[in-house]
Amino acid sequence: MRKVNYLVGNSKFSLDPFEPFSKDVCNFLNNLSNELNSVKNIKNYPDLKALSFWCRSKNILKLKNNFNSEKNRVGLGMIFHVTPANIPTNFAYSLIFGLLTGNSNVVKVPSKNFEQINTISSVIKKILKKKNSFLKNKITIIQYKNNNEFTKKISSLCNARVIWGGDQTINSLRDFKIKERAIDITFADRYSFCVMNPLKIERMSDFELKNLVQRFYNDTYLVDQNACSSPHLIVWLGRKSKNFKERFWEKLYNLVKTKYKFTESAPIEKYTDLCKYALSIGNIKSVETFENLIYKIKLKKIDKNNHDHKGKWGLFFEYDLKNLNEIKHIVNNKYQTLTYYGIDKFLLKKFVLQNNLKGIDRIVPVGQSLNIGLLWDGYDILNILSRGIEVR
Amino acid sequence: MRNQNQFSKEIYKLTKFHYNNSKEYKKIVDLLYSSKIKEKIESIPFIPAKLFKDIDLKSVPDKDVFKILNSSGTSSGKPSKIYLDKENAKKQILVLNEIVSKILGKKRIPMLIIDEKKDILNSKKFDAKTAAILGFSLFGNNYHYLIKDQIIDYKNLNNFMEKYSNTNFFIFGFTSYIYEYLLKNLDNKKIKKDFSKGILIHGGGWKKMEEIKMPNKIFKKKLKEKLKLEKIFNYYGLIEQTGSIFFECKECSCLTTSKYSDVLIRDKNFKILKNNKKGYIQLLSLLPKSYPGHSILTEDMGEIVENDCSLCSGKKKFLVHGRAEKSEIRGCSDV
Repeated sequence: MRKVNYLVGNSKFSLDPFEPFSKDVCNFLNNLSNELNSVKNIKNYPDLKALSFWCRSKNILKLKNNFNSEKNRVGLGMIFHVTPANIPTNFAYSLIFGLLTGNSNVVKVPSKNFEQINTISSVIKKILKKKNSFLKNKITIIQYKNNNEFTKKISSLCNARVIWGGDQTINSLRDFKIKERAIDITFADRYSFCVMNPLKIERMSDFELKNLVQRFYNDTYLVDQNACSSPHLIVWLGRKSKNFKERFWEKLYNLVKTKYKFTESAPIEKYTDLCKYALSIGNIKSVETFENLIYKIKLKKIDKNNHDHKGKWGLFFEYDLKNLNEIKHIVNNKYQTLTYYGIDKFLLKKFVLQNNLKGIDRIVPVGQSLNIGLLWDGYDILNILSRGIEVR
Repeated sequence: MRNQNQFSKEIYKLTKFHYNNSKEYKKIVDLLYSSKIKEKIESIPFIPAKLFKDIDLKSVPDKDVFKILNSSGTSSGKPSKIYLDKENAKKQILVLNEIVSKILGKKRIPMLIIDEKKDILNSKKFDAKTAAILGFSLFGNNYHYLIKDQIIDYKNLNNFMEKYSNTNFFIFGFTSYIYEYLLKNLDNKKIKKDFSKGILIHGGGWKKMEEIKMPNKIFKKKLKEKLKLEKIFNYYGLIEQTGSIFFECKECSCLTTSKYSDVLIRDKNFKILKNNKKGYIQLLSLLPKSYPGHSILTEDMGEIVENDCSLCSGKKKFLVHGRAEKSEIRGCSDV
């Protein structure tokens, strides 16, 4: 068998389940939060800070109180997590979901050496050594490349797989059998968009607008607009207000100009995408650019394969709409996150439920598109990764 | 001295031609450049090289297409497609002739090709390497191929050397092949003559050299040491602009423009950069007429050089630093 690198734990990992939100896990997460917070240079890693904030005891307690008042649930056993290459802290959330639901975990992390992965792993190791012997063989973090034998073995042992990383990863994992009662949770390629009310924003102060734009930036540029929950399409809902929209883009441009750094090949690839879309989409009203930093393509009409039109590094599609129902026919099960500003969230909820839409799993305010929670991609993770016992 | 004015005028004329004859090009100019074509060379719209991989770009009717050039397409899997009509293909040969004859002279000389022999005469489609060999074979005669079934054909090589190594002869190949076969694999003990009268021209396929991290200077030095080759000329060019290639200056090793070509260096917002500043390479050529490839944004990084080299003074010259680095993009894509 090819080499497997154990960042935490070893080949003697546990296959056993335990009680969800156990005291051991809650303590562990509290320790993790504190230890991460005291890591040197943490302020250079906003993602580590966010992780630390997520596992703070107050948040965990809140989740615990919301979960399973009947106390009739237990974990599934061992969960095999396959985590994505490009979001360095994602594996930690996946692991935490597994722990909270009362499962032992084998977590495959990207083989690329991210500082964040090493930091989190060494913090976990430290905590397990000192304080948390119960969890010792229940957290195993591994790195390996092209090792089908190992993937096959872990797949055959686990009770659930949590597969991140998009369609290609999912399909390659599907080649390896899991047990009859085992399940897969798959996070496939998704499409996300944003709805804003121009009138609301027209009345905003400069300060408020700056704040909104910062939140929009966090949803998009912070991850090269390449997270599954980053919006590609901006829908301006309601009465037309050209002025405001210009204000919004201008402000965004000012922010991007000072904050965003292109990788070397990005401007060429982004420009190529723009040319490609200019030629392949029929319903373009106009194209506007702010240097290479913001490209936007204004659409005259939205067509059914809208979900195939994705931007990266700040390439947006823009569309004016009077009534959301005009676009209900384009929403399919590729649609994940709808971020909103200046619009009643209950209206949006109604839009999804009353039309029985196949897509849109998340309706969250602008700025929260990346905030991962226990209801993600349409999955109620706490319930799926634990077993409920009927007692009559 | 370079007549920049004349070049600008002609490239402007050519841009208008493509605008009027290629509906794809027109659409890009309409949408991305507000339908404006300005005469200033810096304002000429440019097409990203990669677009030729995804979209058929033509400025002539289908019936006039006479040959299709394909790039190797190694990086993305898809090859570029360049549609040539007869006139364009002819112009490529004429200009290549003009540029290369400054190195090789006007007379054909015996030619050693660092590749395998392929039957290409009846094919309408050509890949970049085949097109280059075919183009350069116009400067040679008595063709001999170095490679047979992927190994060096010493019998054929010695045959060639026996006959021609006392006169000037021409060696041609892709850079990666020159490295692989002449520098790495060739066993000096198995050849009877030396290469001191050879003139080597190589180009393309430099991704390999980037991989093994061998700079051009070292490559040249090693070739000189091993084969006693004195005359080595590297060229740079795009398959989208076949013909108007850029040769290295023998003195300062900078690439030089010809009267058919120009180069601009742009920053990350595509603003023109000053000389000696590294940026994205845009190449212009007066040749592409059957397809809108006259102004191309390459995937390479480089800089315009100002120096006091006596040999190429008065010419516009530049250096290529290699492909723009493709760093890992953020976001939740594949493992």
